[in-house]
Amino acid sequence: MSQNQHIERFQKGWKIFIKNPLGKTGVTLLLIFMLMAIASFFIPLIDPMYDPMTGIDPLIKTSTGPSMQHFLGTDNVGRDLFAQLMEGAKIAFIVGLSSAFISIVMGTVIGMISGYAGGMTDIILMRMADIIMIMPSLVILLILASLFGQFNIWIIVFIIAIMRWPAVSRIIRSQTLSLKSRPFIEASRVAGASNIRIIFRHIMPNVLPLAFLYMTFRVTSAILVEAALSFLGFGDPSQVSWGMMLQWVWKSGYMFQAPYWMIPPGLCISLLTLSFYMLGRAMDEVLDPRLRKEEEER
Amino acid sequence: MGTRKFIFKKIIEITIIFFVILTLLFFLFRLSPGSPISKMVDPGLTLEDQVLLIEQLGLDRPAFEQYIIYLKNFFTGNLGSSFHYGEAVSSIIMAKLPWTILLFSLSTILAAYAGIVLGKISAWNKGSALDNFLSISALICHTLFIPWFALLLLWVLGFKLGWFPLGGVLSPEIWITGSSIPLKILDVLHHMFLPLMTLFFIHLGSYLLLMRSSMLGVFKEDYIITARAKGLSEKVIRNKHAAKNAALPVLTSVGLSLAFSINGGALTEQVFTWPGIGRELIFAVSNNDYPLAQACFLLIAAVVLVANLIVDLLYAYMDPRITY
Repeated sequence: MSQNQHIERFQKGWKIFIKNPLGKTGVTLLLIFMLMAIASFFIPLIDPMYDPMTGIDPLIKTSTGPSMQHFLGTDNVGRDLFAQLMEGAKIAFIVGLSSAFISIVMGTVIGMISGYAGGMTDIILMRMADIIMIMPSLVILLILASLFGQFNIWIIVFIIAIMRWPAVSRIIRSQTLSLKSRPFIEASRVAGASNIRIIFRHIMPNVLPLAFLYMTFRVTSAILVEAALSFLGFGDPSQVSWGMMLQWVWKSGYMFQAPYWMIPPGLCISLLTLSFYMLGRAMDEVLDPRLRKEEEER
Repeated sequence: MGTRKFIFKKIIEITIIFFVILTLLFFLFRLSPGSPISKMVDPGLTLEDQVLLIEQLGLDRPAFEQYIIYLKNFFTGNLGSSFHYGEAVSSIIMAKLPWTILLFSLSTILAAYAGIVLGKISAWNKGSALDNFLSISALICHTLFIPWFALLLLWVLGFKLGWFPLGGVLSPEIWITGSSIPLKILDVLHHMFLPLMTLFFIHLGSYLLLMRSSMLGVFKEDYIITARAKGLSEKVIRNKHAAKNAALPVLTSVGLSLAFSINGGALTEQVFTWPGIGRELIFAVSNNDYPLAQACFLLIAAVVLVANLIVDLLYAYMDPRITY
């Protein structure tokens, strides 16, 4: 395919994507959250009082409602909730994207090896995937936390990624199986290419688009698991995430007194996962013409 | 392969997997910082009791012997005793398990039933305002952050309106005074309503979406066209031919989404202080009560494995095309 054809195809896909109400809403929501994440870098620069973790308004001793000084009010030690919410967006993106990326890389590599090698390797890897897939990730994180104590955010990201590669690897494996018997793979094998070269040079470019389609769904589950862990009080204590904000409002006993504190973080988690989910569904429709046909029929 | 052989094979497989999980957990236990004794033996016990427990759990032996004793203890149900309660963890778990099973099975059955019925209606009226409303609500339910949703319900229906208790499972005044049994049941249901609603809505979303897309797929099948050609009424086609076949994937998803349900169940139990296994696990982890945490974890792992076996078998039973 030439460069022009690529661009043309992309433009056509984008048109379908943006016409789709799910895609439109998803992209809009996502842009808002991205702005929030970017804003989190600038808010503490305005006044150190607005630092989400260490900034304390000297005039405030308890949780107060929204005011001109603090758009969303403050928590029980006088930290600005609006600043915390922006910081939470940043953490959510970091956790979601990096964890999804790691699980996609792991899932793709394992799926390709499993599909290409076949035999015993295939059986062992896929059984492993099955077991990990049915295990509840939050429960695993909890038992690990009871053994190793509080985790730093990157370790949480990594554990979530390890819990999440199997679904990707299943799809990549079946794709690899169908590619394996194609003539161009046969040809390169006859030409003397090594297995590693075939996997990474010939199979990988063909399965990567599929892998990244699944990234949006991985992002959602990573954000939810991190938020749940933080909500339960086992998150990284040095980071302000939305789950952490909910944990603070709950633990400090302001849950029923301070709706301005309780509602925003949970709403943000739900909306961000919703937007990634809608994005994924819309992308599904662009890449799978069968689904699109259905939509046009109505 | 006969069904009996299939079941046998599956049971062996599950045993091996469980064995691997046990072994992995032991490895991590030895690998983690802090001495094994400090993790398993409550420093608050008398010296003799401590020595007895160390002996029982083989904590003074080399790692390999300790592993063998650990396996043996597991199969005889001796998992140590909880720091917090001072009792054997197995008896604590047995006391908590019924509450989790009650909440869990009731919410799953209700949500699966409602999801199948509503998904059927949604697919049948595809493109209508009703379908749009149902699909969008389902999508929102599916992506809601569970503890937040639970907190909202608790805040509005429990605190603001005061319709439901804020947590727990029993009102002491009813149980101490020895009221009649129907009153006690009503009391439990009253306490269960909010956690039940939380889990119900969360699961309803995914079941509805799944049933809807499965139903739309089934509509294209030949046997639906045949049924139409035979002149059967639309209602019969919908309920007898399409819905029954479309419900199969929903059934398997109950098993596959068990991991998701358990995460959600633990969070819900925690918010509503429902005395179940999930809350106990969270409690154990926050109080550094490793014996209790370990037992809760192993129980959950066992339940997940057995549930998947049951789903496999049910699926084979319901779909006559599958033979093992």
